[in-house]
Amino acid sequence: MVLDPDLDRRPAPAFAHASEAELARILDFYAVAWEYEPHTFPILFDRSGAVLESFSPDFYLPELDVYLELTTLKQRLVRKKNRKLRRLRELYPGVTVKLLYSRDFRALLFKYGKLSLAGMLTGADGQTTPPRSRGERPAASAPTRAHPRRSRADARARAAARLVGAGTPDDAEVTA
Amino acid sequence: MTRRPDLTADVSEILLNEEQIQAKVLELGRRISDDYAGRELTLVSVLKGSLPFMADLMRSITIPVQIDLMEVSSYGGAATESSGLVRILKDLSSSIDGRHVLIVEDIIDTGLTLNYLVRYLRGKNPASLKICTLLDKPARRIVEIAIDYRGFEIPDQFVIGYGLDYGEVYRNLRFVGVLRPEVYLDPD
Repeated sequence: MVLDPDLDRRPAPAFAHASEAELARILDFYAVAWEYEPHTFPILFDRSGAVLESFSPDFYLPELDVYLELTTLKQRLVRKKNRKLRRLRELYPGVTVKLLYSRDFRALLFKYGKLSLAGMLTGADGQTTPPRSRGERPAASAPTRAHPRRSRADARARAAARLVGAGTPDDAEVTA
Repeated sequence: MTRRPDLTADVSEILLNEEQIQAKVLELGRRISDDYAGRELTLVSVLKGSLPFMADLMRSITIPVQIDLMEVSSYGGAATESSGLVRILKDLSSSIDGRHVLIVEDIIDTGLTLNYLVRYLRGKNPASLKICTLLDKPARRIVEIAIDYRGFEIPDQFVIGYGLDYGEVYRNLRFVGVLRPEVYLDPD
């Protein structure tokens, strides 16, 4: 019995990190609807009100009205992500964001008997695209859809290809 | 993985001993008996981990109850590769239409399986649907779910015993304990 068979036929975005693709598969498995980086929240402004910094949580679960942010960076490198999340919570108190750290993701893989994949799916080894510079993502004045959708097969193929040849710096910003 | 003949040797810490568990089960049974007095209650247990809890809880409930069992596939299992979607491996034996249903769980961590089950069971038109869990590990929650009867909130550690397994072993321990990491971590 399947609650929502259409879930598996949705087009999938190009995930920035293999861990995100894996989390999407887990959510799909349990029939939890998700959107990938659908909203961008401005979190830092200059005196004129122009957006200097914004934050796009990785997943939005529309049925639960919750955002998920997944970071598989080493714990000591998560400070920047934590700061952005604190700022988002200050500015948007009605928005619920759950942050999944590397240890949380590893625990998830362990729970599902996939801990052996952790090395490939976490940290720099799991990057599917080069790290973005700040200017690459358009900042918006209000939450907005940020990424075009692509086919799920395409996303998975890109992720698999990058798993083999990843060679990005260990402290690279992975997402958002 | 090195597994010793004595299962308890793989346990680094006993989190909840048998007496603590039984006292809590009795307390939950009393509360459920009071809350559901005069109503038709069905306990739905989710295999396999909740089996010991279900067996003890149903005997601590003093009002008439029906029981039923369900089993769902888990992500990462054999079913994952074939369908990519959770499957009901064992469905309810009886209709719950119009009955008051209490889901009996051993542990709630991510909430993903339970979220699926709740939506599935709601579709079967129960008069009410509530959740009872012996253990709650909120640190691992992805999907927030309202828990109506909670035994213990536990820390973010890998626990076994009293139905909870690692590799299908340790379910028969009479306590809930923390599994030694060296049992499941690759020595390399």
